[in-house]
Amino acid sequence: MVVSRKAAAVRLAVERLVLPNGLVVLISENHSSPSMSISAIVRAGSRFESDDQAGLASLTAELIEEGTTTRTSRQLAETIDSAGGHLMTFGDYQSSRLAVVALSRDFDLGLELASDLLMNAVFPPDKVRQQIDRRIAQLKSRLDVPRTQASDLFNETVFKGSPQHRPPVGYEATVTELSRPAIHAFYQRYYVPNNTVLAIAGDVDAKETIARAESVLGEWLRSDFVAPSVAYPGLSGGPVEKYSTALKEQVNIFMGHVGIERKDPDYHSLLVMDTILGSSPGFTSRIPRVLRDEQGLAYSTYANITSSSGLDPGRFVAYIGTAPSNLERARDGLRGEIERIVEEGVTEEELEIAKSYLTGSFVLRFQRNGQVAEFMLEAEIYNLGFDYLEKYPELIRAVTVDDVNRVTRKHIHPERLTTVVVGPIDEAGHVIDKEGAS
Amino acid sequence: MTATTSIPSVEAASNPIPFITRDVRKLVLPNGLTVIVKEVHAKPVVATMIWYRVGSRNEELGQTGKSHFLEHMLFKGTDRYPKGAIDLTTQLNGGMNNAFTWLDFTAYYFSFAADRWQTALEIESSRMRDTTFAEDEFASEKQVVEEELRIGLDGPWEALENEVWATAFRQHPYHFPTVGWLEDLESATAADMKAYYDRWYHPRNATLVIVGDFDTRDALARVEDLFGSIPPGPVPKPLNIVEPPQRGEKRVIVKKETPVERLLIGYHAPAVGHPDSYAMRVAEVLFSTGKSSRLYQRLVDQDKSITSVNVSYHDHIDPSLFYFQAELKPGSELSKVELAIYDEIQRLKNADLTGAELAKAKRLIEADLVLSNEEPLQQAMLLGQYETIANDERIPEDSRGFRYLETMLDRINGVTVEEIASSAIKYFTEDNRTVGYLIEDPNTDPRNTGKEDDGGS
Repeated sequence: MVVSRKAAAVRLAVERLVLPNGLVVLISENHSSPSMSISAIVRAGSRFESDDQAGLASLTAELIEEGTTTRTSRQLAETIDSAGGHLMTFGDYQSSRLAVVALSRDFDLGLELASDLLMNAVFPPDKVRQQIDRRIAQLKSRLDVPRTQASDLFNETVFKGSPQHRPPVGYEATVTELSRPAIHAFYQRYYVPNNTVLAIAGDVDAKETIARAESVLGEWLRSDFVAPSVAYPGLSGGPVEKYSTALKEQVNIFMGHVGIERKDPDYHSLLVMDTILGSSPGFTSRIPRVLRDEQGLAYSTYANITSSSGLDPGRFVAYIGTAPSNLERARDGLRGEIERIVEEGVTEEELEIAKSYLTGSFVLRFQRNGQVAEFMLEAEIYNLGFDYLEKYPELIRAVTVDDVNRVTRKHIHPERLTTVVVGPIDEAGHVIDKEGAS
Repeated sequence: MTATTSIPSVEAASNPIPFITRDVRKLVLPNGLTVIVKEVHAKPVVATMIWYRVGSRNEELGQTGKSHFLEHMLFKGTDRYPKGAIDLTTQLNGGMNNAFTWLDFTAYYFSFAADRWQTALEIESSRMRDTTFAEDEFASEKQVVEEELRIGLDGPWEALENEVWATAFRQHPYHFPTVGWLEDLESATAADMKAYYDRWYHPRNATLVIVGDFDTRDALARVEDLFGSIPPGPVPKPLNIVEPPQRGEKRVIVKKETPVERLLIGYHAPAVGHPDSYAMRVAEVLFSTGKSSRLYQRLVDQDKSITSVNVSYHDHIDPSLFYFQAELKPGSELSKVELAIYDEIQRLKNADLTGAELAKAKRLIEADLVLSNEEPLQQAMLLGQYETIANDERIPEDSRGFRYLETMLDRINGVTVEEIASSAIKYFTEDNRTVGYLIEDPNTDPRNTGKEDDGGS
């Protein structure tokens, strides 16, 4: 019999304020290291793009650090590098992001840079051209990774009809057509204070930080912004199989279907399910234990439904990368474990181990300023409340075997799995004989 | 708001004890186990690591990949922790564990909440000498390691790196990739693995590192309890393999199914703690850290010939490579990018470097030491790494072992423009380099082979 450990307590003091222009500012002090992290999230990503503009949000985000009304691209780079800090901007599916990580003595500089990028980006035409060219090249090299190819094909199939079917980085054909006016318009429309959350964590003084944020970001103009609606992905009716050829050493298999939203009331029960089925550390959960540890089929194999949950439904996905000769065993093995957890459910012992892990490891997720800032942003976006850290152990402890079995049957559909295989196989899914290929 | 590009000054004169080595204590048990502890109560977390001074550097022809394979076997069970129990115990306690192997070392780590961290000590003390090498476990894990190796074979950078290192080092075992050659792996046996384990896994060849929220006296008592009675083990035989000076440029071409060409240039460069290594470290940062770095500005921004550039110079026990990597844009030419990099190298040789740019590089190194080491595990990694690799007697005593980190910033801050120029002249020579090109192999275009295969079947 397994005895689960009591959870280690996590507490986080968060200051939250909303400026008159609608900007939400979140601050958490931590003085254990002379460093700090400033993270901003603009609530607009590739989910707001149209098909023919795929790549627009991520390109816009990358370009905000290529020049502002008062600083050239080079000056921005020199300024942050000279402080020994790091500045990152990028766009993903549901948001556009900016992060400054620096020594705490450079906080003012970091905040000023972050504000400058959010408010005053100018998108110099030569930089736009350069970034588009660079993106096109990156799109090619991205496909050198067979796992990425397979994941893209999986999303394309499973999320047909909703914006998630596209990679946030876009396609060569759409990126080529993107123009400065479209990028500028995206920035004007979405990079507004009432669509932005700023989180600051680390060796800062909350009071002074608030005063600084008010003075630097207070003049940012609010807009009458309305978020566009986003098409909802539907579950496929029956099983789908797709095969794509890539002459590599491994076959990469993705299997799954549309998943859940972060706000789904079953989230915590599914988190426990994920931990039992395919997302524990080490190889204790079923899929890594059986397919990797016992059968030696893979180095990397997992499954989960909660990790991709967001404003829109994410994906339930199981993955394995294996030698072509193992293709059938690996595919059947993944499907078998998915069917088994739906049909047989989980045991009391598995439940206790999973809960013990989830509650006990929570404290490990808040060690760095960046992680704390990330949590504050998540709590804000999903309305979790900043006492979520204190409530979390209870939410997990309350999950029962019946809960897990019920949510598994409700959200996991073995008869509707989409299976995507990329590797040295032909269009019918047969392994290409290496000797036969010239 | 005004545009500022002023360069903050580096406080070289009064360099405080770096954040990372503050409050570190080191002792050596009678059986030779080195123990490094750093008690910090900022977060209720403890990181525990054990480092063994064995990696692919210690491997031999026909037997490569053993150090890494052994790392996998150490999760498969001991007398006290049967198969699966190490991971299960970790999970039940809400911890995380993993391990990694490289040229010079094999290291294992755990992070736990502070009220249960000693579990890590119990596991490490058990698997230092009591790992079981069951035949069936060995066979299935061999397949796992082969899959890991295949992931590498599918990676274009891995393919090019393996070729360049194997070419640059003809005599020294840095010739071998850490994961090993596939054929060696296939022929490995459980008995080989056990013999290798018996040779290297002993207190005398290990460093235990504990960082975080614990009481030092309690922790050391527990360490003494669990590790004190393990016999010291054989004295590891020093490895006296020296790569002879390279007598002329070496060039390799790797063909692969890829739409993107890649370039890798490696120069033989000094080992950890060598007096020139500090100037070389600054050169690494000048070349490629941040968007204002020289190669980013030159190749990405000005020439627009590549999508990304990276320069690496890692500290190793023996002299290794200082290397440049670039990923080309379609339409760019490998030879032109190569020449542009030589151009930038020449600028350093000419001492074409302002005090402000030098200060920026030093500041980046200093800040990184703080920014990359916020959590106990990151600190344990750094302390363990230097205790393991910076142990040679040629390294000044005040910089030996983890103390390397205490003096590193002073030495970095003392680097002058002239030293960078003279190091560049000494190491970045044509005869001392190996150049690798990764190019598209037209024969592996999937559309061609796919059709041929269909036709044949």
